[in-house]
Amino acid sequence: MAKSSKVLTTVLAGVMALSLAACGNGNNAATNNGGTDNAGKDNTTTNTGGNKASDEKITITFQNIYPDPNTPSARTLNKIVGDYEAAHPNIKIELDSLNTDQQKIKLKTQAASQEVPDITIVNPKAQMKPYVDAGLLAPLNDMLDQNGLKDTFQQGILDFYSFDNNVYAVPDGNNVAVVYYNKELFEQAGVKIPATFEEMVETVKTLKSKGIQPMVIGEKDTWTGSFLFMNVLLRTSGPGFLQDIMDKKKTFEDPAFVEAVDAFQNLVQAGAFQEGATSMDYNAGENLFKTGKAAMYFMGSWATGSIDDSSVKGKVGVFKFPTVNGKGNPDEFMLAPGSAFAVSAKSDHLQETKDFLNYFMTNYPKVKFENKDAVGVAQKVDGDFAAAGYSDLAVEINGMFSGVKGGDLSFDNTMNPATSQEHLTAIQNLFVQKTDAKEVAKQHQTAFDANNQ
Amino acid sequence: MNVLKVSKATIAVFVLPCLLLYVCLVFVPILVSMYSSTLDWNGIGTSTFIGLDNFKHMFTADPVFWPSVKRTLMFALFSMLEIPLALMLAILLNRYIKRPNFLVSSYFMPVILSVVIIGQLWKTIYNPASMGGMLNQVLITFGLESWTHSWLTEPKVAMYALYFVALWQYLGYHLLIQFTGIQNIPAEIYEAAKIDGADGFKADRYITFPMVVPIFKISVVLAFIGSLQSFDMIMVMTGGGPAHATDVIATHMYNMSFLSMKYGYGSALATFLVVLCLSATILINTLFRRVENKLS
Repeated sequence: MAKSSKVLTTVLAGVMALSLAACGNGNNAATNNGGTDNAGKDNTTTNTGGNKASDEKITITFQNIYPDPNTPSARTLNKIVGDYEAAHPNIKIELDSLNTDQQKIKLKTQAASQEVPDITIVNPKAQMKPYVDAGLLAPLNDMLDQNGLKDTFQQGILDFYSFDNNVYAVPDGNNVAVVYYNKELFEQAGVKIPATFEEMVETVKTLKSKGIQPMVIGEKDTWTGSFLFMNVLLRTSGPGFLQDIMDKKKTFEDPAFVEAVDAFQNLVQAGAFQEGATSMDYNAGENLFKTGKAAMYFMGSWATGSIDDSSVKGKVGVFKFPTVNGKGNPDEFMLAPGSAFAVSAKSDHLQETKDFLNYFMTNYPKVKFENKDAVGVAQKVDGDFAAAGYSDLAVEINGMFSGVKGGDLSFDNTMNPATSQEHLTAIQNLFVQKTDAKEVAKQHQTAFDANNQ
Repeated sequence: MNVLKVSKATIAVFVLPCLLLYVCLVFVPILVSMYSSTLDWNGIGTSTFIGLDNFKHMFTADPVFWPSVKRTLMFALFSMLEIPLALMLAILLNRYIKRPNFLVSSYFMPVILSVVIIGQLWKTIYNPASMGGMLNQVLITFGLESWTHSWLTEPKVAMYALYFVALWQYLGYHLLIQFTGIQNIPAEIYEAAKIDGADGFKADRYITFPMVVPIFKISVVLAFIGSLQSFDMIMVMTGGGPAHATDVIATHMYNMSFLSMKYGYGSALATFLVVLCLSATILINTLFRRVENKLS
């Protein structure tokens, strides 16, 4: 018994060590993509923001979602905050850096006790609406007028953060959904970029028959599958489907929705996604693509930076989501206006906070560009991406933005949280069992009716 | 009390600080969430009082609720299975191993590991063979390909896969508790029994079992209540998915409160869970009182 227990212990220890090593990979997800050119740059514009020169000591809490100091986003944040503190010795910016999920929960808890940090992060439209309705966020119109900040933003982007003509948050990004593909694996299987969704399903089958994993997805997080499904729906119905539902002009039992469910199921049933997709989270799914283990990856263009920082750098190309059953316009995209900075309406130092945020956002695109992380910034970026040493992929995606002819937001940015959750679960279910599309549609409509009285 | 000659005031001085802390940290939140369970509230904005509507919806209209209750209870039942096993192991360890402490500590190791680590570990073990899952690889090596499953993502098997991880994790815990219980039984009793001809299993039947019952009860209560509240491991491994197939009451509560933003409804689920735990504790205690009376 003693001997066998030793063997057992050794085996267990081995398994544990392996699994720890496997976890370790996950952390490389988004580190270090911008190179090291950040050192010694202090030529940020010296807009001092506010016009008050008070000696009063002020602390501004800045909740953010850039917890890993090695990422370009965190470097950008730290640079601007550092510059501002140097120019304003009486102001201390206290960073509360959390990952996305933690921040969402923390903010909800804080909001329940009316203690929103001076600056926090919210997500567009339906997701930030409860906070606006509860009067927790300060309107930022006056701040946007200062130093011409408003004009730095891309046209229309602020609408996603506006309610009753007041802007309540300023976004850090503006992305669209694309399909990344691994050129090497495509060549190996002898397949071309699919021009239609039906070709895409065929491509999946060909890749599969050659022993190559066609696509990957981290479907434990559920929004990932929904994002892809909504792109199919965008093709079959054209933009504005969810808005029509909310305006009661259409129901989920509309033929376009049923068609989208069927098309989506064709893709799943063709074996597009890796086995066990629903237990794999976003990072793990993305890592499969970034380690060259899969041929295609559907994701928002924000993934560009970390793909360029992985082992498949230089081997990855990108294409627009194709038409479905000949319907839709590939120039219409799933739009992903990014998470956004909002200011607490009950902040003790409202004016100072706004002054700081104004300074922060005015300098944001410039510092982002220097950190080679300016693909998908919500503001206009001056500078030539190719000349600044951005990768071909980044330049290609950046070029794609100019061709965007509208599109739709993700489901959870459009519908209220309760309806969204039911939708996310229903889509996740399609990954594990084939379901009658009409049944899925009905389920959606029931959920919508129950949560929108 | 009179024997100790301690005044009531002294007792109060010693008990109150802890009691107050306990009341503040345990009872007040329970009462607050009971109150929240009567509200239609998203956790942020204004709330409206709706009486018992949340409970009505929970019991009659929520398609996820009853299956999640069933899974929770199954979880509790499965967790009880390992306690006799732990007792057997404890007896064997105590009898046949010279220095059992090392073994007991190594069985105990999963308990002190963070649940997140355990979740990740078992996730990689359970992975489909194409993703390098160890369990499936082993099955294939032995020619049992038809036994392979995508353990965590097939709705029918996912929950059992989770039960098993919990069993694996807490076996050492119950083993330790009962091992300690057995060691506390004086050796003289066994010696006396031996002289009377009671050895081996007979000694267990008439000495170990009756004397270890109070410890056994602790194990049962801990296992039962612990698995009613099981949450973290499920969250790490499946998040309640695929499509609610592994939702238990606690994960459903979390999803409702924080993802669907139905804070009031989430509180109603929490209240139900509290009531369930309390009644389970009372039930188990009553059952054991009978057993103890019978045995002693």
